[in-house]
Amino acid sequence: MEKLLQAVYSGILYGSVYGLMALGLTLIWGSLRMLNLAHGALYLAGGYIAFFLISQTGLPVYAAFLLAVLGAAIIGLVLQLTLINPLLDNPNRDSASLIATLGTSIVIESAVLLLFGPQVKQIPAVLEGSFKVGTVLINYHGLLVIGVAVVCLFLMTLFLRASRYGMAIRAVSQNMDAAKLMGIPILTVFLIVMCVSAALAGLAGVLLSSIFYIFPTAGLAPMLRALVVTIFGGLGSVPGTIWAAYIIGLLEAFLQVYLGASWALPGLFLFMIVMLVLRPNGLFGLGEVRRL
Amino acid sequence: MLTVNGLTAGYGGSQVLHGVSLHVAAGETVVVLGPNGHGKTTLLRAISGLLRPTAGTVELDGVNLTHLPTEAIVAAGVVHIPQGDLPFPEMTVLENLLVGAYRPEAWAERHERLERVFALFPRLAERRKQLARSLSGGERRMLALGRGLMSKARVLMIDEPSLGLAPLVIEQVYNTIHEIKRSGLSILLVDENADHVAGLADRMYLLEAGTLVREGPAEELLRDQALLAAYLG
Repeated sequence: MEKLLQAVYSGILYGSVYGLMALGLTLIWGSLRMLNLAHGALYLAGGYIAFFLISQTGLPVYAAFLLAVLGAAIIGLVLQLTLINPLLDNPNRDSASLIATLGTSIVIESAVLLLFGPQVKQIPAVLEGSFKVGTVLINYHGLLVIGVAVVCLFLMTLFLRASRYGMAIRAVSQNMDAAKLMGIPILTVFLIVMCVSAALAGLAGVLLSSIFYIFPTAGLAPMLRALVVTIFGGLGSVPGTIWAAYIIGLLEAFLQVYLGASWALPGLFLFMIVMLVLRPNGLFGLGEVRRL
Repeated sequence: MLTVNGLTAGYGGSQVLHGVSLHVAAGETVVVLGPNGHGKTTLLRAISGLLRPTAGTVELDGVNLTHLPTEAIVAAGVVHIPQGDLPFPEMTVLENLLVGAYRPEAWAERHERLERVFALFPRLAERRKQLARSLSGGERRMLALGRGLMSKARVLMIDEPSLGLAPLVIEQVYNTIHEIKRSGLSILLVDENADHVAGLADRMYLLEAGTLVREGPAEELLRDQALLAAYLG
């Protein structure tokens, strides 16, 4: 019973953070039709900016968190303007953007290593304190992380459903030429998508590094999970991505609790392979690639 | 109003349009007739900026639109309703229409515009909450027209609205275009069927192999059965 509670709590926590990460990936996939391999580096940037601000300037933790998210968004903005935009008309855009974003992630990881060294760091929690249910330790900060992630996922869904810009993003992902003919400025939409996506990755980095540790290669594991989630959710589908994030988060937590931590990643990939055989278009794919 | 001068465009190495010049006056309905594969769609794509013309100019009331991005051309009031189906398949009818009013000038008036479109297409009002991909072919064409009307268009360019529709539905679609014409909007319509546009067109051009070969009042050209048979087969 306590194992079950532990697994459910961790699973929801992981799922919330994976949801933030994967939503960013899926937004970029949906509109720009590219895989952003720098997504893990943006996660890393969020975590380290928060760490730097808290340890060096003594800013309150929540202010540092907000600035870190903003910082990740700015890195996304620069990435889009300097690297992705020039590649848009390139005939080899698919491979070129993979290489460019992979290169970016290497640059950011190396910069972090240079600036902060290889040691693990920890960001303090916003809320101290915890309570116990049986032997399961639940801290307030973890609950806060879940709350923030859920609110952000909800707001993002609302933004995409109901706002003028959100509709423009979905229109671009469903039919780019028709979207242009509606007078939608494609480059601006790409820029907004990249900034929002980077901010979400940065937020995930900030939230998770305050529960676990952060180190120069800490972005890789969350990005791998986010990739599994986006593929499982049906690339480009927002509701599919959010459901998939919680399913993958819970699966990972159950594997950890019942089989041991070393089973988590192989288990996830085994699950993904089976899923790809059974439902090649993802959980919510209806025989076609679903769009935003 | 809309003036196209010596427009040349193509795909990759192959040139499709060879110096096309035409004009559309305020409130006028102009039809470009031509067989399939002779550059009708390319002409509209080059005007709306989806395809970069290699030579020539596009002007609206003397303002040069030629090398502007598509969103600026739409903002100026030249709105292109493309050929084919499935506008934004995973969005509802209502969302599709709202996206049509994306430009700030149109967005501010979206509620009034929506009412007008729903009055013109009661069918769309009934299906407003349905996903666009669940509509029938005729309804999708209505949606494409309605979405174009959500914008602040001054010239509406319509690409072969009859394509792939049943005869009865085709009649409805052209009746609607008649009503749009009556509202005073300038229309540039490309088509391959002379019967569809009879009574609708004020002036016509015949397009053959990327060149405009004849121009004249619609009645005059449509009376010349031998000419139409020669060009359209």
